[in-house]
Amino acid sequence: MAQSAKPISSPVPDVWYPTLAVFMLVIGLVITASFFIYEATSSKKNRSLAKELITGAVASVFLGFGSLFLLLSSGIYV
Amino acid sequence: MAAAIFSLFIFFISLFIIQTTSSSSSSLPGLQILHAERQIDLSSHIVRVYLTLKVENIEDAPASKVLLAFTPTQFDHLSLVKAAITFGKKKKKSYVPLEVSPTELPNSPNETKYYAISLVKPLAKGETTTLEILYILTHSLEPFPVEISQSESQLVYYHDSAVILSPYHIKQQATIVQIPSNKVESFTQVEPAQRSGSDLRYGPYEERSPYSNSPIVIHFENNHPFAVVEELEREIEISHWGTVQVTEHYKLANAGAKHKGVFSRVEYQSKPTASGVSSFKHLLAELPPRVHSVYYRDDIGNISSSRLRTNSKKSELLIEPRYPLFGGWKATFVIGYAVPLQDFLFESAAGARYLNFSFGCPFADTVVDKLTVKVVLPEGSKDPSVKVSFPVEQSLKTKYSYLDIVGRTVVVLEKKNVAPEHNVPFQVHYKFNPIFMLAEPLMLVSAFFLFFVTSLVYLHIDLSLRK
Repeated sequence: MAQSAKPISSPVPDVWYPTLAVFMLVIGLVITASFFIYEATSSKKNRSLAKELITGAVASVFLGFGSLFLLLSSGIYV
Repeated sequence: MAAAIFSLFIFFISLFIIQTTSSSSSSLPGLQILHAERQIDLSSHIVRVYLTLKVENIEDAPASKVLLAFTPTQFDHLSLVKAAITFGKKKKKSYVPLEVSPTELPNSPNETKYYAISLVKPLAKGETTTLEILYILTHSLEPFPVEISQSESQLVYYHDSAVILSPYHIKQQATIVQIPSNKVESFTQVEPAQRSGSDLRYGPYEERSPYSNSPIVIHFENNHPFAVVEELEREIEISHWGTVQVTEHYKLANAGAKHKGVFSRVEYQSKPTASGVSSFKHLLAELPPRVHSVYYRDDIGNISSSRLRTNSKKSELLIEPRYPLFGGWKATFVIGYAVPLQDFLFESAAGARYLNFSFGCPFADTVVDKLTVKVVLPEGSKDPSVKVSFPVEQSLKTKYSYLDIVGRTVVVLEKKNVAPEHNVPFQVHYKFNPIFMLAEPLMLVSAFFLFFVTSLVYLHIDLSLRK
């Protein structure tokens, strides 16, 4: 068993966590900002729901993973 | 003819009865001990007894078990019994560890308790073998006087027997007792017994019958810190995102002679060699290498008096409680640290993982009365099983932590009377599918997405009253 045992490490190296957190949160917040700018500037008639949903989805993916890495880098290992 | 057959029958029956009765009353004296040497180490508060037995089988039936006898009080304080068989002569000596388990015998004299050592190869008639046995007794040094003041040093009693308690006949035996210092107040004389420096030698005694006993009391000085952790709870939390976090809750006590009178800090600081010699003010813990995020705190907050030294082989954490611990004084604190995942978690087969971690208390020379080890497995892990080299109580629990839905499986291991020798690795095997690692980020992603959808819905609904 000792021979076949392979150490398991995390899928993303620990040292990348703070950098990943910062970049993903920044990208996420920029997309969020563009989402709300789009909401506020376009009129109700020529808004496309698909575009709104896609922007929201992309922003939430970046914000979700960004906040996960923020938690991990601050020592809250989930 | 019939009468002859009948008498033969009776003869066989009686033979059978004689054999069964003789084997039930003296199932043990199939063996005898040719030579026994015992070394009792009383230099710390943990009593370590090293026993070397040369056993011979004197009966026809091969013997596969050797019994060790203990008095009921010793049995209650027994923390660990280890046995090994030795092969070869002095320089090429090799040890093979043997299995040891507690057993019970009917009609044992004076409520004697037993441990059975299972031999690898049964001993045939006339064969001899040499066994090396180590057993550890905790809480076996009784402070007398029970209360001492700050300037006094600590004296303790140790009770035992000058001859080895054994269910077998012992031809020749000797006992050496090691005392921490030269200060021996008194010791029971059982001829021949003599003292040379810090060693007491009892024996050699020849031809002692089974269960012979001659009680001895040794009264000596022992200023070793009697550090006892009354309760220790270790929580080992595995995160597949790269770390194993350990939190240890301690209830530490000095189990030596109780402190009497006032405590003078001035005297304690100015005369460290004469004042409070039996007290202790720091403890050393050996932690794994590459440890990080170490903290040491209690209910009030962080305790700043600790040192951490790390090197590639181990980390040493020296902690100082808020006050020196005199006899009967207690301290409660928490130690936490994190270690990298790849040092302790391994993959044994596809999808199967196991954690390899040390079981006992990391502090040197410390007894733990009640140890609880909790291994918190990641969410979504299945089929936990534990491999420990000694008996422990096991149970399963569920714990909820950050971003949990179904809760994490917790393997709880409990053991009483833990000695430093129990600080050996144990393994927790479990099955885990790496896809479950995505559960936490997906939860965060869906929470943010829900926020965007709500704001969309709010912006799309027309809530105005006027058309």
